[in-house]
Amino acid sequence: MERFRRLLTEPLVLASLAILVLLGVGEFLSPGFARGGQIARILTVSAILGLVSAGQALVVIGGREGIDLSVGALISLGALVAGNVMSGENGAIFSAILAAGGLAFVIGLVNGMGVTLVRIPPLVMTLGMMGVIQGGLVVLSRGIPSGNAAPALMTFINRPLVFGLPGVLFVWALVALAMWFILRRTALGYAIYAMGANERAARLCGVRTGLVRTLLYGLSGLMAGLTGVCVIGYTGNSFISVGDQYVLPSVIAVVIGGVSLAGGTGGYFGVVLGAIALTLLQSVLTTLQLEFWGRQLIFGAVLLGLMLLYGRTKRLRV
Amino acid sequence: MTLANALKGRVWLVTLAALIVLVIVNAYLQSNLFTPRVLKSNLTVFLPLVLIAVGQTYVILAGDIDLSVGAIVALVNVVTVTVIAGIGTEDAAAVLAGILAGLATGVACGLFNGFLVAALRLQPIVATFATGILFSGIALRVLPTAGLPVPAPYWRTYAGGLFALPVVLWIFIAVLIAVGILGARPFLRHLTAVGGHRAAAFQTGLAVTRVRIGGYVLAALFSAVASLCLTGETASGDPLMGGSLALGSVSAVVLGGTALSGGSGSAFGSVLGALVIGMIGNVIFFAGLPFEYQTLVKGVITLAALAGGVVIARR
Amino acid sequence: MTAALTARSVQKRFGAAVALSNAALTLERGEVHALVGANGCGKSTLSKIIAGTVQRDSGDIVVNGAPLVLSSPAEAEANGISLFYQELSLIPQMSVEDNIFLGREPRNGAGFVDRKALAKKADALLQRFAPVAGRGLNSKARVSDLSPDQRQIVEIVKVLARDPDVVIFDEATAALDHRQVELFFRIIGEMKDKGVSFLFISHRLAEVFAVCDRITVMRNGESVDDFVTAETDMDTVVRAMVGDIAHDLDPAPSTDFTSASARLVVQGARGQRLQDVSFSLRPGEILGLGGLQGQGQSILLQSLFGAEPLTGGRVLIEGRPVVVRTPRAAVRHGFGYVSGDRGRDSALQGRSIFENMAIAEWVAERRRLVWPGRLQARLSEIAQSLNTKYPSLDAPIDALSGGNQQKVFIARWLATNPVVLLLDDPTKGIDLAAKADFFRLVRNLAAAGAAVLFYSSEDAELIGLCHRVLVFNSGRIVAELERAELTSFNLTGAAYGSAA
Repeated sequence: MERFRRLLTEPLVLASLAILVLLGVGEFLSPGFARGGQIARILTVSAILGLVSAGQALVVIGGREGIDLSVGALISLGALVAGNVMSGENGAIFSAILAAGGLAFVIGLVNGMGVTLVRIPPLVMTLGMMGVIQGGLVVLSRGIPSGNAAPALMTFINRPLVFGLPGVLFVWALVALAMWFILRRTALGYAIYAMGANERAARLCGVRTGLVRTLLYGLSGLMAGLTGVCVIGYTGNSFISVGDQYVLPSVIAVVIGGVSLAGGTGGYFGVVLGAIALTLLQSVLTTLQLEFWGRQLIFGAVLLGLMLLYGRTKRLRV
Repeated sequence: MTLANALKGRVWLVTLAALIVLVIVNAYLQSNLFTPRVLKSNLTVFLPLVLIAVGQTYVILAGDIDLSVGAIVALVNVVTVTVIAGIGTEDAAAVLAGILAGLATGVACGLFNGFLVAALRLQPIVATFATGILFSGIALRVLPTAGLPVPAPYWRTYAGGLFALPVVLWIFIAVLIAVGILGARPFLRHLTAVGGHRAAAFQTGLAVTRVRIGGYVLAALFSAVASLCLTGETASGDPLMGGSLALGSVSAVVLGGTALSGGSGSAFGSVLGALVIGMIGNVIFFAGLPFEYQTLVKGVITLAALAGGVVIARR
Repeated sequence: MTAALTARSVQKRFGAAVALSNAALTLERGEVHALVGANGCGKSTLSKIIAGTVQRDSGDIVVNGAPLVLSSPAEAEANGISLFYQELSLIPQMSVEDNIFLGREPRNGAGFVDRKALAKKADALLQRFAPVAGRGLNSKARVSDLSPDQRQIVEIVKVLARDPDVVIFDEATAALDHRQVELFFRIIGEMKDKGVSFLFISHRLAEVFAVCDRITVMRNGESVDDFVTAETDMDTVVRAMVGDIAHDLDPAPSTDFTSASARLVVQGARGQRLQDVSFSLRPGEILGLGGLQGQGQSILLQSLFGAEPLTGGRVLIEGRPVVVRTPRAAVRHGFGYVSGDRGRDSALQGRSIFENMAIAEWVAERRRLVWPGRLQARLSEIAQSLNTKYPSLDAPIDALSGGNQQKVFIARWLATNPVVLLLDDPTKGIDLAAKADFFRLVRNLAAAGAAVLFYSSEDAELIGLCHRVLVFNSGRIVAELERAELTSFNLTGAAYGSAA
């Protein structure tokens, strides 16, 4: 019984169960929900969420109340920059990726420096940065939607490439592999966990905590910028708040994936499952034709429920 | 060194100086600043943030944070206008019923936040982030789209005057008095102690959980009043009202010299901080900056001020 | 007449660790009753249970004839119980007077805090300590601006302000000098005459014999003996504390190190709380740092390790000057640092034993890539050589007892093959058996050529382990004791020698 209970609260198991249940519910509500084409579409949407959640996961694992709320604005920025660099030309895709990723990476580093050097709490720093980026977006776009995706990028993200799966899924698989490699096979990865578990102890073991943490925010920015490229590839063109809808889901996907908001635990495979589960949940809610408020309620309740499961702080009285 | 010592625990002096500089710059840019009409309209614009920042201070003093204040503003607004519309009359009784319903909603939100954070021990940042989503979901359920005008007596009173002074000024004075009263009560010390060193406060015999819930209820109550003010200004319901108020209030509190880690600071400082944020907006507006640069400049100044506030408060 | 307080068969576990197995004690009205025992015997846990901050698993506590649940500090206070917390229960950001009356502020008719009355009462209470308070201790001062002894006085005053019937003083004299202690004892005497009962915990037996009427000895979570102070002597009490386990170490072999060239030389080191510290350390030598707690020993070790800044002086390793500004640089120079505060400085909570052991090695060896399989064999070998008991290297560190955790953190540094090992009161809160293992290990390391700098708050450990001891007072080295002069008497004498 005890083992069964522990198995159930194991995030990977829980997320997998959630995925199966949601698929079942979807199929029941609308036959054909769990068919191949539909699943490929859900996976594509999951991939976009999964990419931005990869950076979010790194920041959260790094601890000290790590969270990056500027990812939404960075996605919008990435989409805007990429769209303008490409302006529909296939030849400019790589420069677009470089420009969007590079800019977002640098802004992420600034977040990291604010958190480490100035010691602004991450939540405040990244929310403040969100305001700055949104201001920058207004300046860049002058309020008018501009830029559009190259046809090859749109095909890569929306059309089946191999085995009926679009190219973006293979990118996601590569990112997942890279995340696994960084977190489990490099000293940097273990330093991130150590820092998340106990920053002082990690520093006393020789980990350059300030540098590593700054890098984490940079990587989160980078992933958000690249996600922006995918978003414009997915929708074709962008508007300045296109990324806002990803902020909250990126945090929830991380939490569903078993990464404790206190830092120092969890891995990316859980987050992959979390992103799929969350996308499925959204899809089922859409199938139910639930209104926006209903989805908000379910989102909020899911987040609170997960925190009750994993995220409680210590008692004062022991 | 002596300057640093003099500023110890009095970061609000810096904020006050910044406010005075901003007022001077604003007066230079806008020649009619000191006419009663302009002052009143400025105060009307600043008042909601002042109120919410004051409420946020009590939560932050206790070492917590409330990111749901914006959503509480929206929820209180739609509940108030819906209740008034439901009663259907345009008299003072209906307005009063609406206001009471709004305040009760605010208190309920505060209790819920406090219960999750203090009793169930969820992390304040994400928990109130999540309750904010819940509250705005409920707000959208109550009133799916903006609309439902409030009766004229409501907004006329709010925009009007009382004993030769505008009502908004009376409200502002009432806020200052409320802050003074709260500051003289033992409760404020208990809040500060809980935020300063939670384990020590517990060992001293303070009811830590109750004190923290009290902080959240105060924050929600002030947000509810802010919402009623906004309702008086817009004269209608809007389920998306209050979007940026959470960050704005935290910024104001930090600017006012309250440590985000809790345990030191004052609500008066937050009043100054909120006024500074308002004045920054004014100065940017009157500086003749092209419209599209205004958001960016405001964002940069806010972020820089936050960084400065954090650095100064640490000394 | 009923006793002021009776505790019977109190039990408490923290996770897997048993803190109290059978604690018992009877406190009569108007007596000063000592609670003594080795580190980790459960004195503080029992105090906190009585004061309501820790929840007992079972057992009875009866106050004035009434059995109490003691579900919160507030309930304990309502029943007249007040605890002086060893780690202090003051709010650093608040003023002295606000701290003293926190939670019981005098109010006026309107329910506002009566600041005047509060200040007057606080001043009256502080007045009693005025002759020994030192500069800057007044009712308006911020607690964070006070020195450690002044904070301790404020905590004492805070306890007294609650007009308690039962007071527990847990190491209330630790940071006080002898004048402050004398005054404190006089106040205890006055209150005792008024019928207040005291439970007095101190690691200074002389104080216990000076002020206490009776003594209860605890060992490994159990109350093992009761004495009437007037009818016993220190030796008897110490034997009861130690029990049957022979914890005396064989004294370190006296070795002549003068011929070897120094591994570590420190010249005129200065820092926040260090003044002109110079010494040298040779390969194979275990150099002790002695003196009262907080005289700069810990700061010196942290400064050498780059965790605290040095403002002056030189550090040489093998004759070459080195600059160590960060722990990372220290690790790369071959330093290892084991702290006594495991939770704060060492444990990567929630992470595996493997990671906890390997993390420093990766830094020291400048590794980029990690193949866990390759390191595992070597780490288990090290862990086993320390007699560490653990389920598997993949188990979380939190599953181990304090002593075994500490062995893991030592293994962490052994894996880096350190040339200088800095031990910062490393045996705090670990049991005697683990301590013995630990000492054996340090000896073996030294024998293998490591240079060890060892700070301990317990003189017995210094005497048992060190070849030489530097005694600290106020950030300076005030005496150097060679092996032959290393006795408890000399250590205490040197520690107090230039004090006051």
